[in-house]
This record gives sequence, structure tokens and C-alpha cells, in this order.
Amino acid sequence: MGTQSNKKQWVLLLLAVLAFFSPQIAGGSTAVYSAVVVISIFAVMSYGLDIVMSDLGEVSLAHPVFFATGSYTTALLATKLGVGAWTTLLGSLFVAMLIALFVGLVTLRLREFVFSLVTYALTVVAITLASNWEFLGGSDGIRGIPKLDMSFLGFNLIAGNDKELWPYAFVLLVVTIYIIDRFRKSHLGIAALMSHQNPRLAIMSGISHAKVRLQVFVLSACISAAAGWLYAYQRAYLSADVMDVYFLIFMLTAVVLFGRQQLLGPLAATILILAQEKFFSLGGYMDKIILGSVLVLTLAFFPNGLMGLFNAASRRFKKT
Amino acid sequence: MNFLQQLINGVVLGHAYAVIAIGWTLLLGVAKLVNFGHGQMYMLGAFVTWWAMFFLGVPYVVAIPIAILAGIVVGLIMQWFMLKATFEQNLVSIMVMTLGWGYILHGAAALVFGSTGKILDTPLSMADVPIDALWLTWQDIAIVIAAIAFFLLLQYVLNHTKSGRLVRMVAEDPKLSQLAGINVKSIYYAVFAFEGASVAFAAALVAPRTPILTSMGFEEVIMTFVVVVVGGIGSVKGSYFAGLALGVFSALFGAYVAPAYSTVAAFVVLIILLVIRPEGLGSNSGSGVH
Repeated sequence: MGTQSNKKQWVLLLLAVLAFFSPQIAGGSTAVYSAVVVISIFAVMSYGLDIVMSDLGEVSLAHPVFFATGSYTTALLATKLGVGAWTTLLGSLFVAMLIALFVGLVTLRLREFVFSLVTYALTVVAITLASNWEFLGGSDGIRGIPKLDMSFLGFNLIAGNDKELWPYAFVLLVVTIYIIDRFRKSHLGIAALMSHQNPRLAIMSGISHAKVRLQVFVLSACISAAAGWLYAYQRAYLSADVMDVYFLIFMLTAVVLFGRQQLLGPLAATILILAQEKFFSLGGYMDKIILGSVLVLTLAFFPNGLMGLFNAASRRFKKT
Repeated sequence: MNFLQQLINGVVLGHAYAVIAIGWTLLLGVAKLVNFGHGQMYMLGAFVTWWAMFFLGVPYVVAIPIAILAGIVVGLIMQWFMLKATFEQNLVSIMVMTLGWGYILHGAAALVFGSTGKILDTPLSMADVPIDALWLTWQDIAIVIAAIAFFLLLQYVLNHTKSGRLVRMVAEDPKLSQLAGINVKSIYYAVFAFEGASVAFAAALVAPRTPILTSMGFEEVIMTFVVVVVGGIGSVKGSYFAGLALGVFSALFGAYVAPAYSTVAAFVVLIILLVIRPEGLGSNSGSGVH
């Protein structure tokens, strides 16, 4: 057991090193750097939803709002108060935490589809607010978000384009995956899974479902908000489009495509989806049909995702 | 006079909400299904009506059944993909799949009809009702009459016919109904076909009030959700009155407070209702249709 998890760690480390140099290996063009930065951001965004869907077993449709919370907090703090990226990061996490606490408390007693409906309605309401309220930029959006500046103790850490942003995006992704991995091994992660798969047993072992649910929800909101934080710097411009239904469908597909609770599943799915959109695009509308179809077909025919299919196939292979 | 105008607007809007929501009421009451693609099915109904009138050149009364037919086809295709999950009552999968369907419909409609707004003028929407100082078209009158007729008919079919009884039995207990020899699968298909048909019918009636866009449909889902929750799951009569109340509320809120935020206001009302009375909704309560 110990050696196996050791081996897994080495493989992950090797993968991480390879991933870090992958844009250079792939030629180092602007398009490649842009692709890897967006992949990292979208993967982190999807990991937020992943722990709610895979571990808690509920479908939150409010995660585009948390992603946008990160972006909007960052854009507003950076353009109106002129603060640096450390402050905007902390601000994003804090505001996302507050909103998630509020939503979590309001929906504490709601289950299944009612929970999903309320979170969906929240997204629609947030879009309405963002596109009408002048404070949030209204229909014009927020322009002129400055460069990412994380300089401290004399280190000059400024990033203005995708190539310069890549190390930050990479660190954010690695830290997120590390947190997800730690979460699944933590008391909270186990409690979440238990109260999802066997609520009676969870209650008997003294787990408070409401508390676990709230904690997981807040954690997941913060992860998606962190992605939104970097997205604001990457785009340098922000509008209500950041909550477009595209982001919701994207996250859901990223979570289900390889199956629940696959550590690298959301990342792999994000790479596939964005590779299709960036390098094999059939036009915006066709891409919508493709993404929606992938989501529907996965759930209709491979409810355990591609990994589930792979596992079933390998089991059958071993039997014969 | 302005208040009367807003009240009349509200009544028309209310009947529109009620008829848009009715397919969902039945879907949730009978099969415990939630359809997030509802808004996009509404959008499709509006565009098929437009297409039939301005490309095929058929009159409005012929365009309506064509839109209904398209709604039925889309509903049946969706249910075919979701049938397994429906029998397993895998609500999580179904919800996410219907979101996916909504996205596919949006992409497909934009591909076929383009992303610019269209005006769906009908002979009724262009004719004003000749009452001084009131702004009312015959389309508005048609919405109210058609909605009332539709609800009365549905109520009658559910409570006084054989097929209505079968639907109510499946809603009550699908497993037992199957043992009693009822073809539950065909009832599930029928309910989804009804969802597609009714939302397309609603779209053909209501969409001429505003310009139509392939990106529309989100507001309709929220309003439908509020109608279903306030009216009580599976309650046909409840949906009617909830729709009416919501319509009057939205019209007055839009006129006297802030027009851009009437969806937000409806949502706030909903949240308050859910926090006060969460047991009013849920998989254990409110089963059946009536």
C-alpha cells in the first residue's frame, strides 16, 4: 500500500514536471501558452464543482456564480482601489466564502432537484444583476484590469501576457489538485462521501450532514473563485458573459466525462474539450452541440464515465 | 387608468406563465422529472412557428400545430435518452442531461435560424382591441382564452377519462402500476411528449408578444419553477392560480419598482417561500397529479 502510493506520487511529480514544460515542448507559441493557461483556469473552476458533485452527491448549478465572484471581486478591487494580486486573491476567496455560506445556509434543508433549481435560479439572477447594475459594470463590463502583480519581499512577480501567466496558472492548478487529493483523504472528505452514500451510517457515526455539506460547499466555492481570480487577469476585461451557460455546461461535462472521483478526471476532460474548441473547432454553434452531446451521451450510456468504461473493459479482459 | 393597464398586463402575463409551466407541472407530478431544457424548448417552439409562417408561408393557425409537432418530436427524443435514468429515478443524471439538451437545442437553433432577433408577428398580435386608452392586442385575449381552455381540458382529461386515470396511477406508484399491467414506459413517453407539445403551444401563443432570440429561455425556466413550487407539485389548478398571481406580481413590480429586476424579485419570493416551507417541496411530498 505504502509503496504503491509512493509510486503514484512519483508518477504525479513526473507528470507535473512534464506539464510545466509542455508549452515549450509544443513549440512555445502564443496560442499554446494561451491554451495551457485557459486549460488550468477552467480545470480549477471545474474542480470546485467536482467535490460537490462527486463527493457530496449534489448538483450545484451556482458554480458559475462563484467563478464570477472571483473575477468580479478581482476586477473591482484592482480597478477601483488599485490593489495588488495578493489582496484580490484574498478578497475573492473571502467574498466567495460569504456568498457560499449564505447560499449554503438558505438551501441547507433543500435536497436534490430543489437544491439544483435554486442554485440555477441564483445563476440566472446573478447574470441579471451583473448586466444591469452599474456598480458591477452593467452592460459595458469592467475594462482595464491591470497586470497580475504578486511582488513581495523584493521579488518581482508581474505577469502581463499568457506566457508570463503560465507559471501562476500552473501553480494554481497544482495546488488545487493537491487540495482535492488531501480533501478526499481528510475527515471532511470521508464524511461527505459517507453521508452521500449511506446517510444512515453517517448519522450513526456522529456526522452532521448539514455541517459537512456547508463546509464542502464553501470549500468548493473558494476553489472556483480562485480560478475566477486568475481569469480576470488573463482576460483584462470582464462582463456578465463570465456566467454564460457555457461555463456551467463546461464544468458539468468536465466532472462527469471521466467519471466521479477521478483525481485527474476534470483536468483531462478540460484538456479534451478545450483542445476540440481551440484546434478542431467546427464553429461556435457546432461546438455547443458537440459539448452538449458529450454531456448527454456520457450520462445516458456511460454513467460511470470513460474511466468506468475502461475499468469494465479491463475486468472483462482479465476474466477471459 | 395606468394601474388598470398594468393589472390587465399582469393577467395576460399570468396566463402566459401558467400555460408555459403546465408541461413541467405534469412532468414533475407524474414522472418526478425536472427539465432544465424547458426554456430552450420554448425558444424552439417560437422559432418553428416563425419559420412555418415566414418560410413555409402557412397561416398562423397551421403554424401552431407544426410547432407542437416539433415539440413532441424533441420531447420524445429527449425521453428516449433518459428512459433508463427515469426508471432508476436517477434525478442527478436527468437534471444534468436536460441541461445538456437545452444547450444542444440552443446551438442547433442558432445554427439554423441565426443569432439575430426575429419578430414573430401574427394577425392577432397586430390587431389592437378597440378600447380607448388601453393597450391590448387580440393576441393577449387569445392567450387568456387559450390558457383557460387548455387548463379546463387538461383537468377534465386527468380526472374523468381512462388515460387520465392511467397517468394518475403511474404518478401515484409506478412500480405497482407496472404490476397492474400498465405500460409505464409509454406513460413516461406520453408525459414528455405532452411537455414538448404544451411548451411549444405556449411559445406559439406567447412569443409574439416580444422579439424572439435563440438565446432566450432562461427567464421562462425561472418563472416556470416559481409557478410549479407556488402552485404545488402536480397540481393543475394550483399552477393556474400561481401563474396568474406571478403574472400580476411581475407586471406591477416591473411597472412601479424596476422592470429589469422582475425575475430577481420572483426569485426572492421563491426563496422566502422555500425557507419558510421547505417541506412543501421534495421527493417525499406532493406526489401525484390532480
